[in-house]
Amino acid sequence: MKVYKLLILLCVLMACSSKSSETENASSNSVREVLPDMSIYHLPAKWHTQNNEQIELKDLQGDVLVMVMIYTSCQAACPRLVADMRNIESQIGGQLKDEVKLILVSIDPETDTPERLKAFAKENQMDNDQWLFLQGTEASVREFANVLAVKYKQISPMDFSHSNIISVFDQKGVLQHQQEGLGVDNKETIAKINELAGNG
Amino acid sequence: MKSIFKSKRLSAEKVLIVCAFFIAACSNQQQSETPADQIQVAGTMDAELTAPPNVPLPVRNREAKKLIVNMEVLEKEGEMTDGVSYVYWTFGGSVPGSFIRTRVGDEVEFHLKNHPDNKLPHNIDLHAVTGPGGGATSSFVAPGHETQFSFKVINPGLYVYHCATAPVGMHIANGMYGLILVEPEGGLKKVDKEYYVMQGDFYTKGEYGKTGLQPFDMNKAIDEDADYVVFNGKVGSLTGDGAITANVGETVRLFVGNGGPNLVSSFHVIGEIFDKVYVEGGSMINEDVQTTLIPAGGAAIVEFKIDVPGTFILVDHSIFRAFNKGALGMLKVQGEDNKTIYSGKQSEGIYNPEGGSIQEMPGESDIPEEAVAQSLSDRMELGKQVYSRTCFACHQANGEGIANAFPPLANSDYLNADVNRAIDIVLNGKSGEITVNGVKYNSVMTKQVLSDEEVANVLTYVYNSWGNNKTEVTPAMVKSRKTGH
Amino acid sequence: MKGIGPLLLMICFFLCTQKKAFSQSMVKIEGGSYIPLYGRDSAKIIVRDFLMDVYPVTNEAFLSFVKEYPTWQKDKVRRLFADDNYLNDWESPISPGEKISLKAPVTNISWFAAKYYCECQDKRLPTIDEWEYVAMADETKKDARKDSTYNQKILEWYETPRTHKKEIGNTFKNYWGVYDMHGLVWEWTFDFNSVLISGASRKDMDNDRNLFCGSAAIGANDLMNYAAFMRYAFRGSIKANFAVKNLGFRCVKDIQDPSKNNSSNHKID
Repeated sequence: MKVYKLLILLCVLMACSSKSSETENASSNSVREVLPDMSIYHLPAKWHTQNNEQIELKDLQGDVLVMVMIYTSCQAACPRLVADMRNIESQIGGQLKDEVKLILVSIDPETDTPERLKAFAKENQMDNDQWLFLQGTEASVREFANVLAVKYKQISPMDFSHSNIISVFDQKGVLQHQQEGLGVDNKETIAKINELAGNG
Repeated sequence: MKSIFKSKRLSAEKVLIVCAFFIAACSNQQQSETPADQIQVAGTMDAELTAPPNVPLPVRNREAKKLIVNMEVLEKEGEMTDGVSYVYWTFGGSVPGSFIRTRVGDEVEFHLKNHPDNKLPHNIDLHAVTGPGGGATSSFVAPGHETQFSFKVINPGLYVYHCATAPVGMHIANGMYGLILVEPEGGLKKVDKEYYVMQGDFYTKGEYGKTGLQPFDMNKAIDEDADYVVFNGKVGSLTGDGAITANVGETVRLFVGNGGPNLVSSFHVIGEIFDKVYVEGGSMINEDVQTTLIPAGGAAIVEFKIDVPGTFILVDHSIFRAFNKGALGMLKVQGEDNKTIYSGKQSEGIYNPEGGSIQEMPGESDIPEEAVAQSLSDRMELGKQVYSRTCFACHQANGEGIANAFPPLANSDYLNADVNRAIDIVLNGKSGEITVNGVKYNSVMTKQVLSDEEVANVLTYVYNSWGNNKTEVTPAMVKSRKTGH
Repeated sequence: MKGIGPLLLMICFFLCTQKKAFSQSMVKIEGGSYIPLYGRDSAKIIVRDFLMDVYPVTNEAFLSFVKEYPTWQKDKVRRLFADDNYLNDWESPISPGEKISLKAPVTNISWFAAKYYCECQDKRLPTIDEWEYVAMADETKKDARKDSTYNQKILEWYETPRTHKKEIGNTFKNYWGVYDMHGLVWEWTFDFNSVLISGASRKDMDNDRNLFCGSAAIGANDLMNYAAFMRYAFRGSIKANFAVKNLGFRCVKDIQDPSKNNSSNHKID
């Protein structure tokens, strides 16, 4: 029964739901009450983590999210984005660390399998609970990138060009801050994270 | 200051002088002590935006402020010249776009609004902005949306702004440019009249004057082969009722920009000398300038005091642009004559140097799209046009000629005696002594560059006017005289 | 697409495909290779065979859709998925009103709305490469991009105001039998948000300035194709929840395996 409800709910979210029965209406309304219109938790897609668990974004509700889109075979910008992320992580107030998740979403889901993401996490010493690596599908990654206004394009079999944007979401999944560029001053980003986590 | 006033007894006049010194010193101090980027803003105001040829009120002594600029992008059809329309892309609905007037230290909060009816995304690159892209990146906006960004104006001067969305040249060629003025602390010196003039070149599918809605021609734009070169977005925007005005004795300041996209302007006002030119819109002032060069994407401030009345013509002195492509405006000045400065015409006479010969203009002789006479009355009508264009100046309106210089064509025995001779003279010119109606003339008539049809028409007109013998001259007769020689 | 993904999709298709009041005819586009304005390493792109809607989606078809799926009515849609302009020319959530032709292309549609509309019919949005591939055809040729009169014609449309009010089928039928690729509305593509100059990731900040002054020319392989520049510029200016008055869409469909929601047609072997 639970599974059935979940399925219906997801279908509602995917907006393919039609002339809704009362239950559907009820669930859709309750979701609407809890989450603001602009919440990314309305996105229906399923993701695989580096530990090969399947999650939806809304499972992350309640934490402040710091997100970036990368691909692991990237030789140029991504290592620097990863460094920026690590730098941000190191400056989050100690007691607030539990309130924040740092998430790296792969723009190359074909190559970046959970196994590969796991190895990448280890290699980069980002394998504690705070770090989450996500593999989606081509469609779900594109959708997610569109929400973040991150542009990317495969430019050769091995390479993507992409915007370098780090995004911060509040506990309800609403975008609160974006930092654009590599190695930029991250003071504002960190202040925002600490502020949001402190309020949470 | 107070202590000075208290300690000394001063006449009103002296007080004023001291005051003036003080104010000057004071503003100097501020200028030297506070770098422009650190000037604090006091309060917020909405920027006054004006369509050309008008400019907003001067800043004078106002403090630096947060200045809100609301600029709307509108794609709209307008008139390029009589019967010719064009879809302009505009900042604020005019070409050039709305004039923005700021002072050093202002913090401009810029709202760029792309009208929902527009088809294309746009942005703005302001040359007065210090920052990547001049604002272009931050202002990129889709139809039906609005973007906001802020900048502090640091350098005084007159700056161009323009759209920088790909394909950039096309956005500029369609009219997306304008001027933003950054006045120095205390403002520019007061003048009597200020106007906004901006040159631009346009590329249309049909050539100059071809009627109807004319689309942008990409290939001509890339070849830099302009059909229109105009001030303020259209032919005649500054002529007739659109002319800018001033009175004798006033000082006029023109904020002149050049949007391009391709051509550099040799800006000149016929009959005026610029007392001052802020070269390229910057801080260097040149004096007593006849023509100032304004690069595409550049500007200049010119100032001049007007001494005499009349109409002064603004041109791009790459003069074919003024004559053939529309780069012409007018400044109409009213007031008292000053005969010392300009006398007007004092006498008029004939200049006829001994043995002088007038040279034929080199070059092509083909005249496009010639009308062909179908009847004698047609021929008369067309001939009259040729006459008034070509013959009138010497032979006069009624063929009476000018005594001792140009023989009469009216009741002319010389003419009526030999039609072939008359044709030959029109075709080949004539010099040396001839006798007409008993009077000797020794003058020169140049060879006339006319088609056979036109020669036939004009001679028919002459033969059928003013008591002559009503010969009809045909193009065939003209042709036979050519081949006969 | 592991685990319950396919299952979900199947259920959704089941829900979606119950009624097809808004389906429209499609034509086959034979695949091929070509060099787009912004490509991969300036190499040829391979486009596989696919089906494309003959016309852009109309107000009429979209009306059926929102009646069927009320979450996409303008008073119910989430702002994450569509901004305030969404369907704002429509008189009410379930009626375009008198002033709007049912046969005109639907506009003021967000990317999400367009995407779900297509998916609910077992279709999808075309990729940029697919769309551009079809758009380079004139009446008689697959690739008319070097034909200057064709380019001039397209540019003239891009300058003509308010063409979105015209009805579908107003412009020419191209080589493939597809109407209105040029001359009516801009159209959403699946990966509109991908235009980057080649190698932007190695140029730090340049990637988000790819369509601006100076750098605009970098990476594009044909500096004379102004019409394509304008399309890419347009795509660069929009976000997925934007609804724009001149922006509509049409759907495409894979030929090989209609149950598979595969949109990756731009892989080079």
